[in-house]
Amino acid sequence: MFLQIFKFELWYRLRRPATYIYFGILLLLALLLMLTSGGFFKGLSVSVGSKVFVNSPFSLNGYTTVLTLIPGVLLISAMFGPAILRDFETRMHPLLFTTPISRLGYLGGRFTGTLVITMLVLSGIAVGLFIGTLIPGMPAERIGPQRLMGYLNPYLTLVLPNVVLMGAIFFALGTLTRKALATYVGSIVFLVLYFVAQGQLSDLDNQTIGSLLDPMGSGASRQLTKYWTTAEKNTQLVPLTGLLLGNRLVWLGVGLALLGFCFWRFRFTQSAAEGPVRRRAERPGLDVVPTTASVVLPRVHQQFGTSQYLRQWARLTKLEFLDIIRSPYFIAIVVAGLAFLLVAALQIGKIFDTRTFPVTAQVAIILSGSFSLFSLAIITFYAGELVWRERDAHLNQIYDALPLPNWVPLASKLAALLLVPVVLQVIVLVCGLLTQIFSGYYQFELGLYIKYLFGLRLLDYWLLVVLAIAVHVLVNHKYLGHFVMLLYYMFTLFASQIGLEHNLAIYGSDPGVQYSALNKFGHFIGPFLWFKLYWAGLALVLAVGANLLWVRGTETSANVRQKLAASRFTGPARLAMGAGLLTFLVVGGFIYYNTNVLNRYQGSKTQEKQTVEFERKYSRLGRRPQPRITAVEVQADLFPSRQEVRLRGQYWLRNKTGQPIDSVQLNLPQEARIRLLTLGAAGAAPARTVLSDSLLGFYVQRLPQPLAPGDSLPLRFDLYYAAPGFENVTNRTSVVYNGTFINSQLLPNIGYNPNAEISDEETRKDYNLPPKPRMASLTDTAARRNTYISHDSDWVRFAATVSTEPDQLALAPGYLKKEWAENGRRYFRYEMDAPILNFYSFQSARYAVRKAKWNDIDIAIYYQPGHEYNLDRMVRGVQDGLTYFTKNFGPYQHRQVRIVEFPGYQTFAQSFPNTIPYSENIGFIAKIDSADPEDVDYPYYVTAHEVAHQWWAHQVIGANVQGSTMMSETLSQYAALMVMKQLYGEARMRKFLKHEMDRYLTGRATEQSKEQPLYKVENQQYIHYRKGSVAMYALQDYVGEDKVNQALAAYIKEVKFQQPPYTTSPDLLRHLRQVTPDSLQYLVTDMFERITLYENRVDSVSYKKLPGGKYRVTLNLNSKKFYADSLGNERPAPMNDWIDIAVLIERKVNGKWRDEPLYRRKTRLKAGNNKLEIIVAEKPVKAGIDPFNELIDRDPDDNVKNLPRS
Amino acid sequence: MALVIENLSKTYSNGVQALRDVNLTIPTGMFGLLGPNGAGKSSLMRTIATLQEANSGSIRLDELDVLREKDGVRRILGYLPQEFGVYPKVTAEDLLDHFAVLKGLADSKERKATVAALLHKTNLYEVRKKNLGGYSGGMKQRFGIAQALLGNPRLIIVDEPTAGLDPAERNRFHNLLSEIGENIIVILSTHIVSDVSDLCRNMAIINKGQVLLTGDPLVVMNELQGQVWRRAIAKEQLPALQQEQQVISSRLYAGQTIVHVVSDGSPGVEYESVTPSLEDVYFARIAEAERGMAVVA
Repeated sequence: MFLQIFKFELWYRLRRPATYIYFGILLLLALLLMLTSGGFFKGLSVSVGSKVFVNSPFSLNGYTTVLTLIPGVLLISAMFGPAILRDFETRMHPLLFTTPISRLGYLGGRFTGTLVITMLVLSGIAVGLFIGTLIPGMPAERIGPQRLMGYLNPYLTLVLPNVVLMGAIFFALGTLTRKALATYVGSIVFLVLYFVAQGQLSDLDNQTIGSLLDPMGSGASRQLTKYWTTAEKNTQLVPLTGLLLGNRLVWLGVGLALLGFCFWRFRFTQSAAEGPVRRRAERPGLDVVPTTASVVLPRVHQQFGTSQYLRQWARLTKLEFLDIIRSPYFIAIVVAGLAFLLVAALQIGKIFDTRTFPVTAQVAIILSGSFSLFSLAIITFYAGELVWRERDAHLNQIYDALPLPNWVPLASKLAALLLVPVVLQVIVLVCGLLTQIFSGYYQFELGLYIKYLFGLRLLDYWLLVVLAIAVHVLVNHKYLGHFVMLLYYMFTLFASQIGLEHNLAIYGSDPGVQYSALNKFGHFIGPFLWFKLYWAGLALVLAVGANLLWVRGTETSANVRQKLAASRFTGPARLAMGAGLLTFLVVGGFIYYNTNVLNRYQGSKTQEKQTVEFERKYSRLGRRPQPRITAVEVQADLFPSRQEVRLRGQYWLRNKTGQPIDSVQLNLPQEARIRLLTLGAAGAAPARTVLSDSLLGFYVQRLPQPLAPGDSLPLRFDLYYAAPGFENVTNRTSVVYNGTFINSQLLPNIGYNPNAEISDEETRKDYNLPPKPRMASLTDTAARRNTYISHDSDWVRFAATVSTEPDQLALAPGYLKKEWAENGRRYFRYEMDAPILNFYSFQSARYAVRKAKWNDIDIAIYYQPGHEYNLDRMVRGVQDGLTYFTKNFGPYQHRQVRIVEFPGYQTFAQSFPNTIPYSENIGFIAKIDSADPEDVDYPYYVTAHEVAHQWWAHQVIGANVQGSTMMSETLSQYAALMVMKQLYGEARMRKFLKHEMDRYLTGRATEQSKEQPLYKVENQQYIHYRKGSVAMYALQDYVGEDKVNQALAAYIKEVKFQQPPYTTSPDLLRHLRQVTPDSLQYLVTDMFERITLYENRVDSVSYKKLPGGKYRVTLNLNSKKFYADSLGNERPAPMNDWIDIAVLIERKVNGKWRDEPLYRRKTRLKAGNNKLEIIVAEKPVKAGIDPFNELIDRDPDDNVKNLPRS
Repeated sequence: MALVIENLSKTYSNGVQALRDVNLTIPTGMFGLLGPNGAGKSSLMRTIATLQEANSGSIRLDELDVLREKDGVRRILGYLPQEFGVYPKVTAEDLLDHFAVLKGLADSKERKATVAALLHKTNLYEVRKKNLGGYSGGMKQRFGIAQALLGNPRLIIVDEPTAGLDPAERNRFHNLLSEIGENIIVILSTHIVSDVSDLCRNMAIINKGQVLLTGDPLVVMNELQGQVWRRAIAKEQLPALQQEQQVISSRLYAGQTIVHVVSDGSPGVEYESVTPSLEDVYFARIAEAERGMAVVA
């Protein structure tokens, strides 16, 4: 019986065109994905290089997983939902159920038959991916050797179990509810839940649970491969082990359990509700009704006319609206959404797993972001339901013959669906308020909620509502309509990848809005609204079009609809459509004038091409000798409310070369309007401009007389940065209404800057540019003449006058010498008393100021009122930093430290001489529980790090070669860690270091080019910050903090404020090695000069109680060390290394249990198995190797084991 | 008042010709449109009910051009389509009230009274608070006529209203229809002959998109007087008989096959003359038309 049904199912499905259509869709999508990833379309978009082959097992695994999800889940639901359901829908079931088939045979046969066919359908992915790799035109270097298992493995480990699970879900839904809608909604809910869940499980400590809970297993396989290097990705199959195996077993079990449940509940009955126990609701009595005497119908009065139509419209709107929000599917999706809002609320603003205060802007943005997928799903789904409502209920003939004007039905549906996102936004608002209340945060900004949720986001939903309705009317096929909407969503996601970046071309899009506590919505609102008005025009056209094409009556053929539309296209319709079209065109024209005429519109591809052109044209000039800047005097006039700035002043340029210089190259940002740019003093014979390329911002001036070696001459400039109209993407975030932050990059540069060249290897190849190392090698003596932040100056004298609007404070590095008002503006004069790097900033906002002192040094924090939360921590960070650094590194060169807040359009803090611009997002609103050992006090840490830069960057600056950021970033990181350790103790550092280790390991896994050892770091953040933290922390633990500081102090003394050639990392290593004992020299080599990885684990531990109350702990350990090359190929390294061996006990500290070492000693271990015995005084709880993860180890969880409780 | 259909033709986009040059004049009172399944009845009804376009021809209701002035037609129309559904979770009273609003019954008091009267009239008053999902086929059909009667329509179209009803329900439905005023036009399309003979003073027989006959049922039956003959035969004899005689119908009765035959004079001694029923007229006309077509073909 089973076999027959199974065979019939195969036969039936193989004859269905849908099977082949699904296969074809997957094949095409897979092909497209392969082509896009492989760079087939790079002529259209910006290319991104990578050394991971597109057909590597890792890549194939990823692509297959993605496509199994979208559109896979929808197809799987389309396959499994109807497996049994179709018998009910075709009313075949009475015929079937009266035959002697068994439940097992019927359900089992159908399920397995469908399973086999679905796997066949899904094999389209592998076929498409494979064909993709064969297409000529795919860059050969992206394609590795073909391996059958690479294609098959994801099917065995991921796809098959997923199909069983999802198949079981949809099969059971369809079979038990006997409703197609249930399977359909099920698939949407599944997808939305899945995506939202993906975003939520980012907490480092939850990842194990998170990856087990992920029903598709992709979280687990990501967890398994997250530290994989390029080499591993290219060669290894994702193994079915560990978490992935666990995950697969769990979910396969769930799938089978569901099938079991389905089998148990299923009965061969006529209708779904009929069960053995439940009785059917009785029909209202029918035959008791006698035929009555005739009733005379009262005469009634019918009203026709606009007022009645409006009443009808209002009534229908209300009805449709209530129908939606009362429907169980709506409630189900909203409840699911609420569950995720709850999770999202817990994650607000997490940095280092440490939360921020739930300020309204964050809560509103994060919650509405988490909820938006649910909103999209609801809008898309109900657009289809509304358009088809009458027809689905078979009431359409009655409705269509009613004396309603044509516009009423569509307009009421549109209005009802427009109301739905209003409800959804109210839900988000209430959740936001609840989140704040439960966090004990009561500064509700209701106005901000309303502005953001109802002023901004709602407009997007409304545009979407109109589009969805119009699509459904136009397509006139419910499922095809949904498919078209899905295509639209995919289009908006991928438009930029096919080179379509102009917001005039992507329905509903806008130049972007960012909120900042300083600048509020600032200058983003105007352009945003213009674009929305433009799209509203189109939406009106769409709505009128939909009304014209609205199906009324029983004929749906295209020409009948067209004919009807023509007859409906009368006065009001023409007027509305004309108004819409006019708005669309006029506003579109106005926008175009702003984005493309007033502003220069460049797609990212154009920008890339310009960079290439710049290199081609001018790199040959790079070797000509150029003078260097020695003094800067600048007046910065800021016009925040106009977003404009005027920069004028004078450089002194000095010929530091040994030969005369006859011409000077000047390099300026393209947008600068040059009012004056002249070499030579006023009144002297001016230099002659011999090259002027305003498009690329490159100018060459020939001097009337060559500049002799050692001589200087002034460069006078007057530049204006205007802000005409608005841009396609609102990028002008530096000069803003409140919170201006600009830096020296807006001022002229001298000479050709090779750092501006394209560095990506693949892209260079595409443009036939000669290969270029990402950074110059350590031995490049020419490159050592420059620091890594400037190619045209060494140390400069600096003074600046900054003017701004009268209610703002303006700042620049230096000491305030004078402040005055003039012409209704406020002026500030800053002068620096010692030479600085040619690197400075100007800031202006309506600041409040917190002042403090450390010895004679003034500390000031310029902040946004309301952001007082962590000022004390920051002040403390400055004070503790100054204490530690002056004591251990050397004196501070300034008399002042200022922290200046700027809007969160960027998230960083940056150290300029005695001035630290500090993003509002990186600590001002952090909510730190000092007692919680899991919280990282990052305002304190970031502050300490930035203060440390006053030594490590502003005193010691590396040459423009590999390894240079080690001296600034790694050492600042080390300095901050030491300050933090002093305040919080060693135990509290572990969480932070765990993060740093994780970010190093994930960083190297996504390296696009080459991983470098620390001393050759090429400005790679995951190396100079993350690995730097880990390596330096370990070093000070092995060698001693004092020793390390002693080395650093000696180093700083040797090289601070040095002139070219600049210092390089071997200098630093030399000092570190001097303080390192011979037995640990290998450690310096391993951590700084090599890429070293350990695989430490404890195999077994036990203990015995000894007479005398002591305990003997026996450990069986395994230790391995590997050296990796730049792509991650590893080779085992011999070892005789010192590694921490520890026995731990749990102690209660501040009310929380914490691991404390009973015994901890560095012990020499050889590679392989090691057996150790340790005597301890108390009863031990855990024991292991390198328990605090000082050494780089991808699997730190197996380093420590609990002792058996014997 | 009369509905005048002239030269109405309709071909669907899939090539099916549903109406061929239909000419009909429908006076006030109950008008029966009789025809087998697929004859084009529903196409004609839907065209009159503004749900469908015609390729050519015209329909006029006095001064009203039905094909163009759809809004005008809809204001006086009551329409019960052949197949319709309901919102299962809404009560009869609520849905009827809803339709009343959409039919322009603005005054809520008046609307309430009409809805109550209609529910009484259709014997649904007792169950007005029940969800429509629980209604039987007959109740649903009565609800259908109730909504069609909303707003004192002057043109009522009921398409196959009795199909699938049990005899009691059908009877009840006939009573309902018969109470609709005499001075409005009611078009009843059906394939059940007795629906027409019971209710209609005027009728048309339609098959394959063509009108085969129009007239008063009594008159058309009279026209066949003396031409219809009946005989009982064994089942095996039927094919042979069909060759010899114009057999218009055959049905089983008590194990025997009773055939009706049309003939000007007595076809034989085994035959007895019968008074023609409307059914005989119907079958005779359809058989005639089929033969005519066969000859033409």
